[in-house]
Amino acid sequence: MFNLLKQIGRWFDVRLGISDTLMPMMRHPVPREIEGPLGWWYVFGSAAMTLFLIQILTGIGLALVYVPAADKAYESLLYLNYQQPLGWYLRALHYYAGSGMVVLLLVHMTQVFMHGAYKYPRELTWVLGVFLLICTMGMFFSGQILRWDPDAYWGLAVAGSMAGRVPVIGPRIVHLLLGGEIIGGDSLSRFFALHVFVIPGALIAFLAVHLWLVLKCGVSTPPVAGQVVDPNTYDATYHEELKRGVPFLGDAILKDVLFSSLAVIVVVAIAAIVGPKGPTAPPDPTLAGANPRPEWPFLWLFGLLSLSPPSVETFIMLVFPVIVIAILFLVPFISNRGERAPSRRPAAVLFVIVAYTALGALTYEGATAPWSPKMTAWSGDPVPENFVKERSPVELQGAVVFQYKNCRNCHALDGVGGRRGPDLSNVGTRMTANQLIDQVSNGTPGGGNMPAYGKQMSANEMTVLVDFLVSLRPEDQLPAGAAETPIVTAPGAHE
Amino acid sequence: MNYHSLNHICSFRFALRLSAVVGMILLNAGGCNLSGKPDQADLPVSPEQIANFDQLYTTNCAGCHGATGKLGPAPPLNDPLFVAIIPEDELHRVIGDGRAGTLMPAFATVNGGSLTDKQVKLLAEGVKSHWKSEAPLDHSPPAYAITNEPQTIPAVEEHTRRLAIYQRACAGCHGPDGSGSQGNRSGPGAINAPAFLALISNQALRRIIITGRPDLGMPTYAEKRGRTAEYEPISTAEIDDLVALLAQWRSVGSTAVAEQH
Repeated sequence: MFNLLKQIGRWFDVRLGISDTLMPMMRHPVPREIEGPLGWWYVFGSAAMTLFLIQILTGIGLALVYVPAADKAYESLLYLNYQQPLGWYLRALHYYAGSGMVVLLLVHMTQVFMHGAYKYPRELTWVLGVFLLICTMGMFFSGQILRWDPDAYWGLAVAGSMAGRVPVIGPRIVHLLLGGEIIGGDSLSRFFALHVFVIPGALIAFLAVHLWLVLKCGVSTPPVAGQVVDPNTYDATYHEELKRGVPFLGDAILKDVLFSSLAVIVVVAIAAIVGPKGPTAPPDPTLAGANPRPEWPFLWLFGLLSLSPPSVETFIMLVFPVIVIAILFLVPFISNRGERAPSRRPAAVLFVIVAYTALGALTYEGATAPWSPKMTAWSGDPVPENFVKERSPVELQGAVVFQYKNCRNCHALDGVGGRRGPDLSNVGTRMTANQLIDQVSNGTPGGGNMPAYGKQMSANEMTVLVDFLVSLRPEDQLPAGAAETPIVTAPGAHE
Repeated sequence: MNYHSLNHICSFRFALRLSAVVGMILLNAGGCNLSGKPDQADLPVSPEQIANFDQLYTTNCAGCHGATGKLGPAPPLNDPLFVAIIPEDELHRVIGDGRAGTLMPAFATVNGGSLTDKQVKLLAEGVKSHWKSEAPLDHSPPAYAITNEPQTIPAVEEHTRRLAIYQRACAGCHGPDGSGSQGNRSGPGAINAPAFLALISNQALRRIIITGRPDLGMPTYAEKRGRTAEYEPISTAEIDDLVALLAQWRSVGSTAVAEQH
């Protein structure tokens, strides 16, 4: 039996020449250091590729059930989640393998950057890597749209509005992306085609060239301080190094396999423990509770946009991403020679630290979104009990006005509530009654954050509200202004 | 492939086998009940489909009435006496239409709120059933509803009677003219403040006089707490008189009332 299989294999091999082509590739020499512990630096790219394979397999599985129609997409996801045996697991795997792919791509890119592996002669390999990153981000974005819950299509609305700001051709881009002027069934078909055919096709093509270049240019040696890259002499030196090299089919590929397995195990476990993402509420545009947030790889951009003044919005939407991508593309052209060791490239190390700190901080801000009012706080977040006990009837009325006029949606009490405005738990120590009346009536001067509520409430409501706010201070602290003047109560207030 | 890397392969094989075992354990640990498996019950329902008292209460009422129905700034709903005296229809009406003359907003969609009539009914029933008294009340409480709307300018003897009831039932904490315990930062506080009286209706005043605020220490109409030892529960008519007095303070101020007479 085994012999028969072997014979069949040989029959094909003789005609296709697989082992003649593949075996030399597998056995191509790689630097000797890869056999040692330094070889572990080289495993991230292949692990990302392994997760991409999972994406293809799970993606095919999902496409067998998913219906890319506006009225059916949501139902087909529910079918996958609840009816299809292990359909939920397929969805979870697809999401977490995709997330893992982004993580590993970033780690891979950072490693290549820190080790100066993009320098001569591997500039083009880096450029194709950037294309792969862009494709992966495109996959993430288009995949989120396919979930077709309110978060998904409102997220698309944001992206559409951003694209619409492009000068002159903006409306055409929107039309092309959405399949019309507004989001609808056509938009879903477009993003399905993008997610299933266009972007993966491009990704596979770029990946093929990327891998070809890895074979063609060879794997760089681990950087050593003092060993500089000079395009005139590099090829000869590298050739000499490879003479002492080890075959890829050996320790190097085993490290790849082991790390890829680890990555797969982590993804498999997270998918099993956490489960699929969404879908959230049914796709009904009249639902007010939607909370459009981009997927996590884009949270930093969401944070950056939200924290920037309106005057630079268009710049950040349209010019800034172009600059970021351009910088990534230009990395090997800014310097393709010289030192490779991080210890001799402080600027590069600093760049990585600053970039990741900024990304991390902006992602955190994007995830918590403290600038978004908490629209349900007024009726859903109870006034903390210690702000109710020992309060006079007037102050209690004030607390009700505080909730009823939605102050709580932006102002937290005891840390609970919106975070757009300051927490007011101790406002009585900072502002006098008159200052509070002014602030509440007129809002932040000059069209700032806080709207003017002067016309939104009666004089009596204002009086009780300010009485409550003045009472917000620790037991042992005097109200604001107590040192200089007697407390001025609001006009019409109680004695 | 030299001996050295073969040796490595063996250790790699071991590592692979180990990771396979770990993977199996992870999968088996969850068995068929992997924690990630979505539960249809967790599927978000559209807001008008919510038919669960706790959920509706938490998202619509807790902000003012407190997380457990008490110790919020607005009057407690988790109060057996209140639950006993308020008719369910009235509760339904107040939630749906709001309470005129107070800060209680209307929640029914027909009034611009966010709750369907079914949900309003569910909340009214829920308040009644969740927070009713376990034991029967040991006295028959006064009627919930105001019997006759008070006249603003009463006759002198009528006013004197009202003030006497006030002195008997309220003055101990709220002071002889309703201005509260002076000099104290907090405490029972003033009930003659024009802003306070402007934002509370006569019916709401009557309810507070009957039920007190057990969560904040204000006694009910019947309790002796904070009153003299010979205090007798005030009657339905006397409660009407107290409401009338406060209504009078609302329209002309408590000092003016004192001067008038």
